[in-house]
Amino acid sequence: MTAPDPAQWLPVASSHDLPLRHVYHGQLWGQELAIWRADDGHVNVWENRCLHRGVRLSIGLNEGRELRCIYHGWRYANRTAGCTYIPAHPADAPARTICNHTYPVTEAHGLVWAAIDPQAQADLPALPDQTTALRPLPVDAPLGLCRDMAAQALDAQGASDVCLHDAQAGLWLFLQPADAGKTVLRPLLSGTPELAQMQLWNRRLSELRDGIEAAARQAPAPAPFAPVYAPVDPELAEMPARSRQGPRTELRARVTRKTQSAEGICALRLEPLRGALPTPQPGAHVDISLPNGMTRQYSLVNAPGETDFYEIGVKLEAPSRGGSACLHGDVQEGDVLALSAPRNNFPLRRDALRTLLIAGGIGITPMLAMAQALAAQGLPYEMHIFARSEAHVPFAERRAALGEAVHQHIGLDPQQTQASLSEILATPGFARHVYVCGPAPMLEATRDTAARQGWPDETVHFEYFSNTKTIDDSSSFTIDLARSALTLTVPAGTTILEVLRENGVELPSSCEQGACGTCIATLLEGEADHQDVYLSETEKARGTKIATCVSRAKSGRLVLDL
Amino acid sequence: MKLYNYELSGECYKVRFFLSVLGLSVESISVDEYPGLEVQTPAFLAINPAGTLPVLEVEGQVIAEPQAILTYLALAHDPTSTWYPAGDPMRAAQCAQWLDFGGKLDASAGVARRALGMFMPLDAGSARLEGRRLMRILDEHLWFAERQGRDWLVPGPAPTIADLACFPAVALAEEGEIALADYPAARRWLDRVKRIPGFIPMSGVFPTSPAAPQEN
Repeated sequence: MTAPDPAQWLPVASSHDLPLRHVYHGQLWGQELAIWRADDGHVNVWENRCLHRGVRLSIGLNEGRELRCIYHGWRYANRTAGCTYIPAHPADAPARTICNHTYPVTEAHGLVWAAIDPQAQADLPALPDQTTALRPLPVDAPLGLCRDMAAQALDAQGASDVCLHDAQAGLWLFLQPADAGKTVLRPLLSGTPELAQMQLWNRRLSELRDGIEAAARQAPAPAPFAPVYAPVDPELAEMPARSRQGPRTELRARVTRKTQSAEGICALRLEPLRGALPTPQPGAHVDISLPNGMTRQYSLVNAPGETDFYEIGVKLEAPSRGGSACLHGDVQEGDVLALSAPRNNFPLRRDALRTLLIAGGIGITPMLAMAQALAAQGLPYEMHIFARSEAHVPFAERRAALGEAVHQHIGLDPQQTQASLSEILATPGFARHVYVCGPAPMLEATRDTAARQGWPDETVHFEYFSNTKTIDDSSSFTIDLARSALTLTVPAGTTILEVLRENGVELPSSCEQGACGTCIATLLEGEADHQDVYLSETEKARGTKIATCVSRAKSGRLVLDL
Repeated sequence: MKLYNYELSGECYKVRFFLSVLGLSVESISVDEYPGLEVQTPAFLAINPAGTLPVLEVEGQVIAEPQAILTYLALAHDPTSTWYPAGDPMRAAQCAQWLDFGGKLDASAGVARRALGMFMPLDAGSARLEGRRLMRILDEHLWFAERQGRDWLVPGPAPTIADLACFPAVALAEEGEIALADYPAARRWLDRVKRIPGFIPMSGVFPTSPAAPQEN
């Protein structure tokens, strides 16, 4: 029996097997494959198994940008196979570690080629430019028997262990070892044959198949290959190392396009230097280390399925604190930036009956990502964009693709803005949610209006660019760390986060000004003095979370779940 | 109209599917085919002596056999006259041929499913062998149809009742341990049938994703 050769590149499907919105059920060396073409043309070859309950993804739904498991609706992104949404946890962003196993793939000569070994370098046989894949024929017989009998019947030469060549007919017969007892004959003919010629070959090869199967029945069927489940990437399986200082910007990406997207706003397209970028989710941001030494957060505007680049929008602030001026002025196409994996502290629920997205100025970036996700899923939403002028609204192409769901409110004064917000937020209701991102005054106005007009606090989701409140760090108090069994003192002028780090207890952090929510810790006892703009009023009142970068204690002692 | 119906029967499902496509509502009378074996009771045999489902009752007259019911519904209730191409002798004959094929699939792949899933005293092994033989024929027919730009079993721009007649046994074949992975052209055709307006699911037959938007 032939032993599996995971490094060997083999055809696993014909190009014509993969129309849009279909999932092909394939197999190679005993491994089951879910093979699907996204609307952007990319062919995905994945392990045929949902990470949740192991259901075959080949019976899932190809929605063009994502594959959705038929069982509980987990969604996996084109290209990366990263999970983008878990319906049972609508308020949470799926962890980056939930990523299905993908196989290397290439499409050539009318066939889709893959290998089981992720490191295998694409090594395709030399074939003429113009070839046509004929009808594939699965045969219930081992590879070796198929090869021997096919070579005899076709008078063909063995071009390799898995390919026969009949030079006179211009035919290559690839033998795809689906399993130990199953081989798929994949004939490839040079040129563009007539239908009658395809039928003739089909008849000949069907006879061959019947002959091989009759011979195979004389011997007991071989035991199936044991599928090998690749262990999870150690980088994903282990808890990420905690950084000593601030956010980790361990990814490298090249600025491949920089355009003036609107008045004072540039759009940057970032592509990985090698490999793939982690899966973006709507509402997620990345930390970018800038050449001037600063680290800044930028929301991704990627639509679902756009997984081979990140796109961000940067507004030139006047006066700039340094971040925007650097990206606008210094950073050029071709430059390499260091960035963090995307973090999603602003996840989008997909179970709302109606979603209102409200964007002010550059706050459009996460809102666009959300709008595109809702549009791709056909969920009801509307998007309201507030801007100084039409020329100040970026990403025209993305907005145009969303069509009539986008409403623009141009050049309004604060009073008119207030009136528009009152109208947009006129009707709260069951399973209606509001997402808002923009400058602080507009956010405050939206939250106040929503509260006044009867929107429950938990239905209003917001993201501040920054915390503009003046932080009062004059208090001093002690913190008890329940898990670490440590009692530490936080003196005036020092943050909880700093004290934790000094004592070797590390928490991830990002903005370190109480806006992004990355450094949130669970509060077990004591009364917090909340100074962040991340937690909602309800969450602050509940008293079970604290933003360790800015918030402090009203009581003399806090007990944290750290 | 009254439909004598069993929810888990592929033969009943093809009739329910077509009724939904035509937008017709009927009185549905549940018959406990399994485990109650109600089709074998004298009361049911008085309605259909063959003891099979589905049965359609129209103004006191009884039509048994799913392919006959599909034909009746198409001729009597299809305003588009596309579902049974009666006006075109060749296409009508091709339709009748694939209707018959649908019956053969029910009697092979469908029997394998009943033997395994409903523990009926049927020969699953030989039913499965015959089911696989027929599935190869279907797959080959559909592969060459695709090469000629055709989506359906009978040549023409629209589906016919032949597609509905063959659909349930193929869609449910895995329940009879016939692996659909071996019939990729048939799997693509399943997606197309599921996108017919009026498609309804049943246990084991789930909707697929919407078709990609057409490029203008």
